[in-house]
Amino acid sequence: MASRKSPKKTAAKGPAVQPRIARVAKGKKPQYFSDPAIDKLLWMTVTLMEELSVTRDRLDTVERLLAKKRVLKASEVDLWRPDPKSATERDARRKAFVDRMMRAVHAELDEVLRGSNRGAEDDPVAAVES
Amino acid sequence: MKGFKQHALLPTPQHDEQARQDFVGAFRGHLSGRVMPGNYQLFERRVAPRFAAEHGRTPADEQEIRECMTREPYYQFWSALQRRSQELLWESVIDPTEREWSTLITRARTAKRTKTRQRGSLRLDPSLAVPRYHTAADIHLQPGGYHTDFTADDVAAGAIYDKGINLYMGGALGSENDLMGNTLLAYLRERHPSQQPKRILDLGCAIGNSTVVWARAFPKAEVHGIDVGAPVLRYAHARAQALGVGIHFSQQNAERTDFADESFDLVISHIVLHETSKSALVRILAECRRLLKPGGLMLHLEIPRGRTPIEKFMHNWESYNNNETFSRYMTRIDLPAEARKAGFVGDEVSLQEFVPKIDVAQMNYTEHFFWKILVGRKDGAL
Repeated sequence: MASRKSPKKTAAKGPAVQPRIARVAKGKKPQYFSDPAIDKLLWMTVTLMEELSVTRDRLDTVERLLAKKRVLKASEVDLWRPDPKSATERDARRKAFVDRMMRAVHAELDEVLRGSNRGAEDDPVAAVES
Repeated sequence: MKGFKQHALLPTPQHDEQARQDFVGAFRGHLSGRVMPGNYQLFERRVAPRFAAEHGRTPADEQEIRECMTREPYYQFWSALQRRSQELLWESVIDPTEREWSTLITRARTAKRTKTRQRGSLRLDPSLAVPRYHTAADIHLQPGGYHTDFTADDVAAGAIYDKGINLYMGGALGSENDLMGNTLLAYLRERHPSQQPKRILDLGCAIGNSTVVWARAFPKAEVHGIDVGAPVLRYAHARAQALGVGIHFSQQNAERTDFADESFDLVISHIVLHETSKSALVRILAECRRLLKPGGLMLHLEIPRGRTPIEKFMHNWESYNNNETFSRYMTRIDLPAEARKAGFVGDEVSLQEFVPKIDVAQMNYTEHFFWKILVGRKDGAL
């Protein structure tokens, strides 16, 4: 897309990076349970809930459309195998889903790697108390 | 959701994007309707009696309640799920926005050039320093907040906010997210019926969803909206153009604007003050007084933070968990006293309560809701 210019930080070297909208908010993430692992498991569970809900909606849409158009019987779905192009597309979609699901685990490592070098200017409490 | 008005600056979700937004709506509806109220029962049946048995008295304040409640698994579950629902809300809106990103930017650029509505304008200031109360943490967990440009001429923050707040309140903000504007306008009409403002300033206007209400209500008035965020202002301007309303948007900090002394007869804000800071609050109120003509009116719509300690604790969930960092401090601030400190001396200053028309099922933290309005009238006659 011609209208999208790379952010300054990534424009210095290497191929132009397609800009993206951030998916994670800045700020301290609260811990709700005594064991942070529970927080992460719940985080993942809700993501799964959402994805399952979306998938059921989509399946419902497809089945209703197919029945309306008299194209397909339910048994045909059970016997279907993807062709290479379909398989590639499904792999990519599946990978994106797993990446998203696993963000809780990635964040764990990020926290370890980032350490405690957050600047005082990033402290939201200090920002409003001044 | 139901009855939300589609306009040129809103992305149209595809099937799965819509399904995600539908899930967020269903999940948040369940949390606010079925899970959140249980916290009050938990407090009454278990937490308060235990506290009384141990200390021989009821919890004195919000902080004592916090210490007990945050140890309760039920509250922990609700909090963690509520937090995740907020993250999912933004994610579900960001995906379609990013997919239609370049189209939305092009539409906003075109709106800027439209000459048919001469009364509207957009003035950005790239040199404006975005205050730390915006940059330290993304307010309401919206990634990038109101101020981040992810690309040139970005409007994403505006599109995300527009659909996001619609989902946040399960559609209760109205077909054009106009509930706050309508509420404050209803207050003005009810309590100050003779007021016919000629110049109106909306502070922290974001996407101008409330500003539009005022411009429509007073078509002869010159209406201005300011905000520190460039992407929301680009969106606000284009959105107002799309809705056929002329508003002058400019990128300015409400703590100190470039408008002339005594140049407005009405200065308003809609749930903005609690997103600022202790020092910014006084500066904003002082700026309001400087901008008001003698006899001019200042109206700040604010969300109440509960009457009882448990209600206060529940309302301030937003502060600890949804990056409304300043709101817990504002709970303890005497707003009329701050206004007097800021120069409203010898002026009428008061904090009014105003009951809105909101479906109780949409309330996140309490079943009792009323707005608070900080009112200041600069001495003199218009």
